[in-house]
Amino acid sequence: MAALKKSFQLKSRDFMHAGEASISVQNMLKQIGIEPALIRRVAICAYEGEMNAVTHGENGNFRIEVNTDKIILDISDEGPGIEDIEKAMEKGFSTATEEYREMGFGAGMGLPNMETNSDRMDIESEKGQGTRVVMRFSLSPGSRKNET
Amino acid sequence: MIGEYVTFQLDKCTGCAHCVKACPTRAIRIRSLKAVHHPDLCIGCGECLRVCPEGVIQSNVESRFPLDPDKTNAAIISPVLYSQFPDTMPCDVLRAVKEMGFDHVVDLSFHLEMFQFAVEGFIAQNRETRQAPFPLISPICPVVIRLIALKHPTLLDNILPIRRPAVMIADDVRKKLQSIHNITASEIEIFHITPCPSKALSQEMVLKDEIGSVDRTIGINAVYPELCKHVENIREMELDIYDTDPFANIPNARGPMWSKSGGEINPLRDEGMLSVSGLQEIRRCLEKIEMGVFDEMNYIELRVCPQGCLGGPLTAVDRHMAKQTVQKLVRTFGVNRRLPPYKLQRLYDRGWFFANIRPSDLTGYYPDQRQALTIDQMQEIENLLSLLPGIDCAVCGAPDCRTFAEDVVRGRARRSDCFRLREIDNGKEGDT
Repeated sequence: MAALKKSFQLKSRDFMHAGEASISVQNMLKQIGIEPALIRRVAICAYEGEMNAVTHGENGNFRIEVNTDKIILDISDEGPGIEDIEKAMEKGFSTATEEYREMGFGAGMGLPNMETNSDRMDIESEKGQGTRVVMRFSLSPGSRKNET
Repeated sequence: MIGEYVTFQLDKCTGCAHCVKACPTRAIRIRSLKAVHHPDLCIGCGECLRVCPEGVIQSNVESRFPLDPDKTNAAIISPVLYSQFPDTMPCDVLRAVKEMGFDHVVDLSFHLEMFQFAVEGFIAQNRETRQAPFPLISPICPVVIRLIALKHPTLLDNILPIRRPAVMIADDVRKKLQSIHNITASEIEIFHITPCPSKALSQEMVLKDEIGSVDRTIGINAVYPELCKHVENIREMELDIYDTDPFANIPNARGPMWSKSGGEINPLRDEGMLSVSGLQEIRRCLEKIEMGVFDEMNYIELRVCPQGCLGGPLTAVDRHMAKQTVQKLVRTFGVNRRLPPYKLQRLYDRGWFFANIRPSDLTGYYPDQRQALTIDQMQEIENLLSLLPGIDCAVCGAPDCRTFAEDVVRGRARRSDCFRLREIDNGKEGDT
């Protein structure tokens, strides 16, 4: 079965290049004719995830896999981890410092946004061990323009 | 017809590929040492005009304009024109245009103010309900609209559905002229003097509403030499602050300010507004809007030309000088509001400002000229990319290695067009 895989290394706190993996994914999905509304959902999730890994994590890894029936975004880092995942999922909850908030991040909407925009989201995290977020999007027949 | 904004005079083309690399939609390739343009991907941004060292590429905006003496000729002046003449009152610039033989010259200041009122009105009306998608995107720059239609169709709904000032005024002027001179619409010719190469086809402008609003467009650079003489003459005359042309209004600096980046949103009261100019910045900005980065913003002014419209390819004066002139005009004439809000509100409530056809109707504007790739083809591109030199040298005729790989996979280029692949395929290094 055809599968397209691509991965990117994310550099910690490199805000100059943060977002580039997401943009590259966005462009790739456009080229293979994924339905625009779905691309937008993937792009929002990709960007939030990428920013989280760049902001909080070390040695971030960003992977995308496109199969005929689904898209998987797998973003992981070796950062501080999330202490209380349930709490982190609450809208508006944020551990961001004042400095990050001033940059426009850390409004506490990242994870809730990612959950709303993906079809399924799984978080694995342990304090001090890093975080891995896997998001899945199902590709229904017709969500691509030229299904072969 | 889409995309016929520029003409290539290929006899002069040396195949240098400057245009190929400059094109944001990758609509140009070099084949047999000559540029090949794909108009179905062209958004009329004019980047190729700027970079061509041989003068091969020309804008299809008219450069000569014999006026028809049997018609009533009116010229709508892009506010950028004022920025081209330092230390000259805007009303004197209008007089100079009239000296060129136009029956009427039309200033946009009041219509800019009306447009800006409508922006504020629309935001206020939709901010709480969030019925319209935010951030709203300014409908002013036609290249931005086409870039969205081609590359970011999900953002078409974000485009503010308000008519552009030049369109509002063209309709107004046509009606007014008919009643003043008691003539029919066909006896009127409306010109737009503009810095923008993308308005070449007045029949194929951004929104379908705009079809036929302007009859002919002329580049500022085309009128500049003659205009300079008239401006010089008028500067020699005594101060005259009275004007007899009903359409000349009395321009304030709202127009000049509008012509530089930020000038559209600057006089607005609302918070949450951004202004972005320059092609690279705009492309990045649109990607970010699509990723939800600017969801909290209300309105984004986007201008493809660097520094705003006064950086347009069809201007005559250095854009930094022009900016300086604008700043002086703003200090002297101000950007005060001059129209009574209750009258504007009445127009707004009547729906006068609204475009009949929403920008989202542009969805089919660029037909699916590029068949989507299959997953296998996409993987093939990635595989090919790992063999390519990755230096984007453009010797193959494509702007960059990724585009070349795509061309090969789509059967539009040969592997042997790339020097590196040629080496590999000839077995010189033998490792594939």
